[in-house]
Amino acid sequence: MLPLMVPAIITGLIWALPGDPASLICPPSRCSGTQALAERWNLDAGPFQFFVGWLRDALALNFGRSWSAFQGMDVGNLLAEAIPVSLMLVGLASLWIFTGVFGAATGWIHRRLDPLLQTSGMIPVLVLALVGAAIVDLTYGFGSSGQEGQMARIIIGSAVLGLADGAFAGAVAGTRGLFSSESRQRYVGVAILRGERELANTLPNVTPALVGQLRARLLHLLSGAVVVEVMLKINGIGDLLWAGTLEQDFGLVLGTATLFAVGSALLLVLQAMCEVAVALHVRRSPGVQAA
Amino acid sequence: MAWRRTILGLSGLAMGLLGTGATLNYFEEALPTTLNPLFAETMVDSRAQELVFDRLWYRDAITNELQSRVVKTHQVAEAGRAIKITLKEGITWHDGSSMTSKDLCFTVKSMLNRGTPSVVAAAYQEFVAGCETQGPSVALVRFRKVLPKPRERLGFHILPASQFSSTAISPDMEFSARPTGTGAYKGARTRREVIFDAQSNTHHSPSLMQLQLREGGDPLLQIRTLEGGEVQGIVVVPPGSRADLRASDEVTLKSYDLRSWWFIAVNTKNPALQDKRVRQALNLLIDRTELREYTIGVKPGDRNSPCEFISGPFVSVSPYYNRTIPTVPTANRAKADALLKAAGLTRIGGRWHLGEQPITLKIGMLANLNNEATDLLEQVGNQLGDAGFDRQTSKVSADEWSQEVVSGQSDFDLVIGKWSFGLVEAVGDLFHTNGRKNIFGYTDAGVDEFLNAYEDAVTDTEQKDAYHKLHARLADELPYLFLWKLDTKSAWRTEVRGNIITPYFYFTEIDSWKVVEN
Repeated sequence: MLPLMVPAIITGLIWALPGDPASLICPPSRCSGTQALAERWNLDAGPFQFFVGWLRDALALNFGRSWSAFQGMDVGNLLAEAIPVSLMLVGLASLWIFTGVFGAATGWIHRRLDPLLQTSGMIPVLVLALVGAAIVDLTYGFGSSGQEGQMARIIIGSAVLGLADGAFAGAVAGTRGLFSSESRQRYVGVAILRGERELANTLPNVTPALVGQLRARLLHLLSGAVVVEVMLKINGIGDLLWAGTLEQDFGLVLGTATLFAVGSALLLVLQAMCEVAVALHVRRSPGVQAA
Repeated sequence: MAWRRTILGLSGLAMGLLGTGATLNYFEEALPTTLNPLFAETMVDSRAQELVFDRLWYRDAITNELQSRVVKTHQVAEAGRAIKITLKEGITWHDGSSMTSKDLCFTVKSMLNRGTPSVVAAAYQEFVAGCETQGPSVALVRFRKVLPKPRERLGFHILPASQFSSTAISPDMEFSARPTGTGAYKGARTRREVIFDAQSNTHHSPSLMQLQLREGGDPLLQIRTLEGGEVQGIVVVPPGSRADLRASDEVTLKSYDLRSWWFIAVNTKNPALQDKRVRQALNLLIDRTELREYTIGVKPGDRNSPCEFISGPFVSVSPYYNRTIPTVPTANRAKADALLKAAGLTRIGGRWHLGEQPITLKIGMLANLNNEATDLLEQVGNQLGDAGFDRQTSKVSADEWSQEVVSGQSDFDLVIGKWSFGLVEAVGDLFHTNGRKNIFGYTDAGVDEFLNAYEDAVTDTEQKDAYHKLHARLADELPYLFLWKLDTKSAWRTEVRGNIITPYFYFTEIDSWKVVEN
C-alpha cells in the first residue's frame, strides 16, 4: 500500500497548498498564463483525475518530463540514472553496518572500542558531509562534477553515511546488546556446558530482531542518503527529490518519493521473508554440533 | 549551391580543427534553468541560449550597430506596420534541415499563441500582430502599430518549426534540455553541466570544438581552479576576489557590460511605508558611501571605483538616466527625522512608532548578491536599526526570489535586489501597475502615464523624455531606494584569445574565441 499512499498524499498536498497547482509550479514571474499548462499537466480537473492519470502513466513507466527543476529532461531517465548511484551509495554505506553487526556478533570488534565508536558516531551527518564535499571540490576542481568526481563523491558519501549520526556505532552497540541479553538465557548456559558454541545457539533466536534492526538501519541510511546526496552533490534519487521539492516540480517529486516508498516496502518484504526463513529453520530444530 | 555549401561546411570544419580543437571549460553563476529562449529567466539562461540560437537582429559588440546573421535583406512595409524579411540561404539547423521563412513565422506564431506561457513572448505580444510566409526565404512580420525602428524590437531567437507539433510551446518539452538551433553550438543539459558542441554552418565557424559550463559555487574555489588552469574562465567574479586575479599573469579581468543596478524595493502596502515621506526618510537614512565601503571595499575617493551611485532605475551611462536628479551618497539623519515626524511617526525610547506600535521592518535579500556585496543585508539592517527601526533580516534563495518575491507573494517590507538589462532598458514590468515584476504591487498613475508614454513613443527623443520624467517621478515617489551600479567582471585565462564579450548576451561573438598555447 505504501507505494500507492505516498503519491496519493503528495497529490493531496499539492491541492492543499494555497493557489492553483499550475501557478505553484510555474509562477507568474516565469509563466505568463497557466491555463494551458494546467491542461497539459492534467492539473485542471482536480486531484483525483490527476492522481489516476499519473498512476496510469507511472505503471507504464512513463513519469513525464521535469517541469521546473530540470526543465525538459525525462523523469524516467533521471530516475534510471539516479537509481544505480543511490544503490551504490547506500550499498557501500551498508557495508559499514554489516561490518558492525558481524564484528559485534563475533566479538571481532572489542568492547573496549565502544566508547570511541560512540564518540565518533556523535558527529552529525551534515558536518561530515560538508567536510567530504570540501575535500572533493578541492581535489578535483572543475572535474568534481565529472565521472571521477562523482565516484569520489559516492565513496566519501558512503563513508559519511555509514559513520555519521551513530550509524556504525549503533549497529555495533545494537547487535552487541541483542546478543548479550540472549546469552544470559538459561538455554545458552546449558548449551555451553554441553560444549556447544554460544553463537550457534543464540543466532537463530536473535535473527528476527537483528533483521528488524537491520531494516531500521537501512531505512536510516536511505533517509540519510538524501542529506548526503544534496550536500555532496551526488547524482542520486535523494538529490532529485530535494531539487524537485525546492522547485515545486511535483512530477519529479512524485516519481522520486514513490521510488523511496517502493524501496521501503521492499525492505519490509525482505524482512518478512527473513523472519519466515528463520521460523522455518527453528521449526526444523537443527541439531547443534558439539564443539 | 550544393557544392558551395559543401565547401563552406568543409572550410568550417577545417577552421575548427585549426583552432586547436580546444575545449573551453568555464564556471557560471548557476546552471541554466532552460535552454529554450522563450522561457529564459536568468542571465545564465540568456548567455547559454546565445550559444545555441541566432537572434533575428543583434547589436555588434564593438560598433553597436544592428546586425543580423540570418537576415539577407529587409524592407519596411505596409506604411510602417510590417517588415518584409528575406532570410539568408544555406543556413541549417543543428539537425541538418534548412532554416526557412516557415521557421521564422512559426516562432512569431508561437509567441502569439496564448498556449505558450512565456513571459518573453508576452513582451512581443504587445506589438507583434502576426507573420506570413511569402516563399521559402521571405516572411512578412506585421505589427499592431507603426514601429519607428522595428529591427531594434525584433531581437528574438528563431526556433525550428520541425521540432514542435504545434505553436503552443511548453517549458517542459525536451527542447528545453536539448534544443536545436542555428547557433554556433548545439547544447545539451545534464544534471550538473551543459555541454556545447561546435556546429559549423554557413554563418558560423566556431574555433572551439566544445564548451563545458558548470556551476561555480564557492568563489575562492573558482579562483583556485582558474589559476590552476583546469578551467579557462569565470563569467562573474565578485569584487572581493578581483584583487587576487588582477595580480595574476595568467588571468585577464574583462568588463562585462550588464547594465545592472541594485535597489531596495519598498513595500508601499505596509501601513508605515505607505506615506512617501517615510520612504524619502529611509532613502536619507541609508548611507550608501558607508555601505559601499563595508560591503564592496570601495573607499571614499577611490579612483576607478567599480561601484557608482544612481538616483533612478537606469545606469548613469544610459540615455534614459536623468542627470538632473542627484544621488544621495551619505545619510542625513536630521532631515530624515523631520520627514518621519511630518508623516506622523513618533519616536519613543529611541524606536520609531506608528501609533502605539513600534515599526519592525522585515528585510530580505537575494542570497547570491552576498557574493558581490558581502554582508550588505546586515549592514542595511544595522543602519536602519541605528536610525530607530526594529528589523528582521533574512536571505532569499534564487527559487524563492523567482517564485515569491518577484511575483509579489512575499511578506517582506524591504527587499534588496539587482536588475540587469541589455541595451533595451524597459522598466515597465518593474513599476507599472500591471507589471509582471512589480515586487510589491506598486501603483501610481503618474508612473503608469510615463511608462505608457515610453511604449507609445515614436522617436528616440520621445522615449528619452518619457523615461527622464519617469526617473524624476520615481526618485520622488521612491517605490525603490536606488543604490548603485556595480561593474561586472569576468576572468579568462590569457590563452583564451579573441574573447569579445558582448553586453548582456556575452557570447554573441563566440566564433572569434579561441584557445592558444602560451
